[in-house]
Amino acid sequence: MGGSSLNKPELIIDGKRRDGRSFRDLRPIKIEASVLKNAEGSAYIEWGRNKILAAVYGPREATPKHMANPNKAIIKCRYQMAPFSSLEGHSRTGPNRRATEISKVIKEVFENVVMVNEFPGSEIDVFIEVLQGDGGTRAAGLTAASVAMANAGIRMKDLVYAVSAGRIGDHVAIDFDMIEDNYSDADMPVAVAPRNNDVLLLQMDGGFTKEQFAEAKELILEAGKTISEIQKDALKRVYDVKGASE
Amino acid sequence: MVSMRKIVVPGTVVSDHRLSMDNTYVDGTRTVSAVVGLFDDSRNEVIPLEGFWKPRSGDIVVGVVEAAGRNGTYKVVLTEFVNGLIIQDKYDREHYMPGDIIEAKVRDIEHKVLAVLEEPRRLEGGTLMNVKAVKVPRLIGKANTMIKQIMDLTKCSMVVGRNGLVWMKGQGVAEATEAVLRIEHEAHTSGLTERIKSMLEKGENRNT
Amino acid sequence: MNAIDVVKVGYIRELLAKGVREDSRGLMDQRPITVSCDVIDNAEGSAQVDMGSTRVLAGVKFVLEDTKPDTPNMGNLVMSAELLPLANADYEPGPPSPDAIELARVVDRGIRAGNCVKLESLFVGEGKAWTAYIDIYVLNYDGNLFDASSIAAMAALMSSKIPGVKDGAADYGSRSSPVKAENIVTSTTFGKIGDKILFDMTGNEETAADARVTIETDGSSIRAMQKGLSGSFSFDELERLVAESMSRHEGLKKLIEDSIRK
Repeated sequence: MGGSSLNKPELIIDGKRRDGRSFRDLRPIKIEASVLKNAEGSAYIEWGRNKILAAVYGPREATPKHMANPNKAIIKCRYQMAPFSSLEGHSRTGPNRRATEISKVIKEVFENVVMVNEFPGSEIDVFIEVLQGDGGTRAAGLTAASVAMANAGIRMKDLVYAVSAGRIGDHVAIDFDMIEDNYSDADMPVAVAPRNNDVLLLQMDGGFTKEQFAEAKELILEAGKTISEIQKDALKRVYDVKGASE
Repeated sequence: MVSMRKIVVPGTVVSDHRLSMDNTYVDGTRTVSAVVGLFDDSRNEVIPLEGFWKPRSGDIVVGVVEAAGRNGTYKVVLTEFVNGLIIQDKYDREHYMPGDIIEAKVRDIEHKVLAVLEEPRRLEGGTLMNVKAVKVPRLIGKANTMIKQIMDLTKCSMVVGRNGLVWMKGQGVAEATEAVLRIEHEAHTSGLTERIKSMLEKGENRNT
Repeated sequence: MNAIDVVKVGYIRELLAKGVREDSRGLMDQRPITVSCDVIDNAEGSAQVDMGSTRVLAGVKFVLEDTKPDTPNMGNLVMSAELLPLANADYEPGPPSPDAIELARVVDRGIRAGNCVKLESLFVGEGKAWTAYIDIYVLNYDGNLFDASSIAAMAALMSSKIPGVKDGAADYGSRSSPVKAENIVTSTTFGKIGDKILFDMTGNEETAADARVTIETDGSSIRAMQKGLSGSFSFDELERLVAESMSRHEGLKKLIEDSIRK
């Protein structure tokens, strides 16, 4: 969103998107779980050209002490884009306003699914480091963080996935890359709990009619089935040594 | 009969009925896994592949004394977020120093993350290692078979805490460590006791 | 949440289970709103919104700046929000909290995505354009800052008058051209407490809330959405709330327009 309209590229050629996808096609997604030794749980995701690491530390004693909640674990989340992660020159690292907001909405997702009552007084840290960004990094990062959280053995109600739907002209489509994202007419990242399709994260800007919103919902739920399977496979592969499937 | 075990993840429905099962929760009328684990449908059990130790009374634990409190009490670190507390009788007090390794039994749990300990015993010397708490049952084995086997074949004394801390001392510490790491890695596979046995016996031959 | 908050949550939830709100409103009723424009003479635009006892002031200042290389013919909007310590016992001085950042960014998204002010219209020429700095000041907190701030920002921006330019610099003494507003975006924020969905939550209700969703619309399209808090909505609920939000647009739009004509 918000790119200059002066040099807008053709986003749709012969009914297909620039990379040959149809409107309901996801980019290729690969997830590997348990990739970092020190973290309790971790995952690496390649989603199109996005490359993102997610790691979970904790539960550990909450710091500073006055932040601790005597009844439940607090969850902290830091989403960050590496200074070298984008095509558009060096970007300042550290929390900017965009990253602060994304960190907040991702934290709220995990407050929903993590059984925080089991770890009173502790904190659980979720780190999402975008090493290379190409559109849809919050959805990809959240999808990976979910796998990292399960890999950490932290008890959760569900394995949440996230994906973005949007609009190019009259077409509602799923999973924009950076160029589509820059010149699209709407963008809506959503996180869903697959067991009941509840919406845990929802952001949107641009323009959607009621009908287009309903269409976006269908695309998200369809894509979610694929993403969920990839998440589960990543977790299963961690334990796929001989004798596992007796 | 070979039971069916399948890998489940958080959110996987393990039953369409409401069941009370560790590592699951009831969602409406269904029972849903809360962990990555193996679901055994013949025994209605989810065995976690990852997870944290939740103290239960009677658990044997290994910990490190962190600080002395008042009236002969001591704070003992058991995991990153569970502490133990040694409370002693007025007339029969043992003194501990920060850094002492102790073995004890959990008497009560206060507020989910504080384990009141009883029968503390100082473990002199030796080394400590950390294993994932979910692998501890496998390391101990049915009726202590696995841990006894390691101690016999490596000539080590060992204490395995439910909290994941393992203390060992003796001439075969390196072999014992290797065996513990292998068990941690292959805990969910079958035939492990035999494989560990042959691994340690080969090691014995190498040494002699 | 401190001990007093826990007690508050208790009675709010108990009342709601019987379908009753603490101020005896219906679940979908809005508190009375007043919008007053031009309350700060020195600002190029300003508006104060009172929504129940929530009070928000938005001020607009125009600054003549160099245009950006990728948007050579456009001006810019910069939205900020401050949760002032005088507005609530829980607000602390210091850099903007995640709550304040989220508030500013959500209000910004609606107005930007709705093309309420064409950024091209802020272009002056010769590499110069106006940047409209919109600052949202929360003066008293009693819930629903998203809707109050959105109305205040929209009204302040629409009622503002761009300064003149003299010798390549801003001439704040002269105000000539009013901002051209092309579209009006309105914001509606719904809360979920237990299984009840309610509109325009008070501060106490927000303390008790499980989930919150803000929907900003220009009547024909949704322009921005943001879900907040750790609870969830089903897609069915969201579709219903989108329709609800759109049906409330005309009324809120008229409120903003009337405040400017006064």
